[in-house]
Amino acid sequence: MKHGKLFAVVLAAALLATAPLFLNAYQVDVLNSIGLYGLLALGLNLILGEAGLFNMGHAAFYAVGAYTAAILNTRYQIPILWTLPLSGLVAGVFALVVARPVVHLRGDYLLIVTIGVGEIVRIALVNDLFGMTGGANGIFGISRPNLFGIVIRRPQEFFYLIWGCVALTIFLFLRLKQSRFGRALNYLREDEVAAEGSGINTAYYKLAAFGLGAAWAGMAGTLFAAKMTIISPESFNFWESVVLFMIVILGGAGNIVGVLLAAFLVIGLPELFREFASARMLVFGLVMVVMMVFRPQGLLPAGGGRFLPATLVRGRG
Amino acid sequence: MKQHLLALVAAVGLVVGGATAQAADTVKIGLMAPLTGSWASEGQGMKKIVELLAEQQNAKGGVLGKKIVVVTEDDGGDPRTASLAAQRLTTQGVVAVVGTYGSSVTEASQAIYDEVKLPQIANGSTAIRLTEKGFKHFFRTAPRDDEQGRMAAQTIGKLGFKKVAILHDNTSYAKGLADEAHALLKSQGAEVVFFDALTPGERDYTAILTKLKGANPDVVLFTGYYPEAGLLLRQKKDMNWQVPFLGGDATNNVDLVKIAGKEAAEGFYFLSPPQPQDLDTPDAATFLADYQKKYNELPPSIWAVLAGDGFRVMVTGIAGAKSTDGDKIAGYLHKDLKNYPGLSGPISFDAKGDREGEVYRVYKVDAEGGFVLQKL
Amino acid sequence: MEEFLQQLTNGLAVGGIYALIALGYTMVYGVLKLINFAHGDLFTYGAYLGLTLLTSLALTDRLGFALGMLVLVLMVMGLVAVLGAILERAAYRPLRESPRLSAVVSALGASIFLQNALMLLYGARFQVYPNILPATTLNLFGLYLPLMRVLIVLASVLMMAALYLFIQKTRIGAAIRAAAIDQGAARLMGIDVNRVILLVFLMGPALGGTAGLMVGLYYGQINFTMGWVYGMKAFTAAILGGIGNIPGAMVGGLLLGVIEALGAAYISIAWKDAIAFLVLILILIVRPTGLLGERVADKI
Repeated sequence: MKHGKLFAVVLAAALLATAPLFLNAYQVDVLNSIGLYGLLALGLNLILGEAGLFNMGHAAFYAVGAYTAAILNTRYQIPILWTLPLSGLVAGVFALVVARPVVHLRGDYLLIVTIGVGEIVRIALVNDLFGMTGGANGIFGISRPNLFGIVIRRPQEFFYLIWGCVALTIFLFLRLKQSRFGRALNYLREDEVAAEGSGINTAYYKLAAFGLGAAWAGMAGTLFAAKMTIISPESFNFWESVVLFMIVILGGAGNIVGVLLAAFLVIGLPELFREFASARMLVFGLVMVVMMVFRPQGLLPAGGGRFLPATLVRGRG
Repeated sequence: MKQHLLALVAAVGLVVGGATAQAADTVKIGLMAPLTGSWASEGQGMKKIVELLAEQQNAKGGVLGKKIVVVTEDDGGDPRTASLAAQRLTTQGVVAVVGTYGSSVTEASQAIYDEVKLPQIANGSTAIRLTEKGFKHFFRTAPRDDEQGRMAAQTIGKLGFKKVAILHDNTSYAKGLADEAHALLKSQGAEVVFFDALTPGERDYTAILTKLKGANPDVVLFTGYYPEAGLLLRQKKDMNWQVPFLGGDATNNVDLVKIAGKEAAEGFYFLSPPQPQDLDTPDAATFLADYQKKYNELPPSIWAVLAGDGFRVMVTGIAGAKSTDGDKIAGYLHKDLKNYPGLSGPISFDAKGDREGEVYRVYKVDAEGGFVLQKL
Repeated sequence: MEEFLQQLTNGLAVGGIYALIALGYTMVYGVLKLINFAHGDLFTYGAYLGLTLLTSLALTDRLGFALGMLVLVLMVMGLVAVLGAILERAAYRPLRESPRLSAVVSALGASIFLQNALMLLYGARFQVYPNILPATTLNLFGLYLPLMRVLIVLASVLMMAALYLFIQKTRIGAAIRAAAIDQGAARLMGIDVNRVILLVFLMGPALGGTAGLMVGLYYGQINFTMGWVYGMKAFTAAILGGIGNIPGAMVGGLLLGVIEALGAAYISIAWKDAIAFLVLILILIVRPTGLLGERVADKI
């Protein structure tokens, strides 16, 4: 079992690393999209999966990061990849400020508040906040990233940039999961009262999860801005938050590999269903229901499926 | 279970698209259109029209002696999906691309086509900046927002209105047009008493109408789309408010009158490129008859018809250049295509790929709900 | 002042519809702790079914206006209720013992499915109701009050009151309340919890479907995506009032409509939805479980 699992992971990684050699530009670009959503979903996974905080407004942090990068790049000519830490920081701080007064709300109330934050951010962008966001037009003319003198332009080149970030993220988040911090988050998700009773500062950890997850979304936003060279508010609407939410839950909240698998399915399937033309989203909706019905704990449940995360079980939340 | 998952992922990762073998006896033309999402109605109209025209062209022998195959990809009306649709089209051996509708959606695909030298012709994208970036392979059959803004200001002047309220819907297109008209109206001495945006997709606009009425304008310029325009007209009539409305070209849709009701729609002015039925070319008349025969309805809007024009222009370009080479087609369209008899009027392109000549007309809705061309 | 009152009535008419839809969210949540994201689409189905029945059966011509309308409303209620029950059986019941959020994702999938099914059945173009309502406008102290808007508010309030009485005064209502408090204990008391859940999935969609019919009849224009907009607003309303609480959904719905109208009138039309969400967040900061929601000890 252990060996099988390792083998599967190595095989998948090797397949992925060589994918641009035998896939065409479109297929590679689908993988890029999957990688980008994978990054976003891994960030959301910290908040929703590890800490159990219902967040359906993740696109807000993604947008803050993307716009920070775009504004710094187009107005102050800062190379786009250099903006990465700053856009992560801005998104993280924004999340802390927003989450501070509401992070204690019970599950579904937090859900609507995060939806609300997502919508407020989108409306602010559309209405050209501070005259910096370009309104509905968004910001265009973002320069291509330049890594050690190589201008990244084609999908194949973006592939290695994006998936490199994904690999780094997986490494860091696996470490984080096994750390004191990661265990505290899990504890929080399983039983908040007991966690607090054991001396865990729940407010601190909840906020930390929000800040870190949002910072990741902000950095993913930078990559998105670099890839598209134009960003506009419609790329950060409610639907994006819903998609990310679905990825994390479908993956098995809290399981990094599961979340990546789910990103493959949720972003990949609508592409696979292009043959169905107008009916492709119909089939996609149906597949989502069927997958949830047959894998109610998610594709790869956190904790190997032996324990039900108590706060996520119906009737006790 | 694990094997199943792995198989599924492999399927998604590798089978996506599945490179299609390029048959040498056909010419593939791509169509990128919003088949799903909020603008699905436009996209499906585009698909119907282009497929009809391709069928007819093939009956006449296709192009360069080969059959035309239309490859349609869904852009979902959203930039990210559009960039994927564009990547996909580039791998399927198409020689030219028609589409798409929304400006920001088109924008997300422009660079992708340009990099592989695929000529693209957009049908609904009117944002000015699309042709200001120096893309050599980009064209559009749609006119530009600045031209429409000029026409809107001119029309309001000619109709003698002094106090103007401007309402847009915060979409890229509507906001651009509203800003354009706003500046011109001010410079020609009209007073703009109201400038704000509604939220598209809602049903009840009485709160906005009440506020508009309070500003007491002579005319309301609404630069958004037909679903909201229809509701505004209907609810305005319910309020017994008699102010005239002038709409932008996105209100040109047969559903406008259905939504508003004939009584409420009567007297509504709007700007638009001429409709096929107002052109006296035999081409337009035959096209309209054929379309109605095949689909038993009118084309949803002028934008779908402009996709048809885009398709015909591309076919002419391929035939004229005697080649499917992107540079040659684009070169032909830039230099040699002059006053091509399109369904929406004569078509020529300037160096930027914009359509030359005055395209806009003023229409007014009559008591029967018909769109009547105005001579101002 | 006159404009203020006018905007108030504008908001109430919009809010009445929100409230009717919000009831479906709140009832399902009360019993199952599930946010039924497909509820907005059931509302859309009410509008489309109403249109099909209205045009194909010509009820108002055959039975007279009032009786025809009544039959139409009952038919739409019945059909959408059946749809709700099917949805529960297919997409939610298999997930009843699963993590809560799995059912939410299933609901989102069901919503995508329902919406696109409608697009494929009816086409993507806007559908338009025949204009059969009397266009009478009352003029009260200079306020413009179309008769139909008054009727919309009255009908919503009436239906909500009937529902409230049903829940509070009947034995079945008591069973629903019991199941909402503790399903296990309710089962021990001899209540068939499955039937209670089925009942909730019949009643909520029936009300939502009626709201859809009312929107179709009055506003005239419907399309397959409208459930998302209305559904989100109604869900916001349910939370605002305190989700799980029936009077809360009514108050939340009407209040949200009024906040939107006043926000548009006195602050900014373009920022209207942002203002509504901001008010919601402020209210939740002060009252973490909504206006009428049960008090739960804060843990932070």
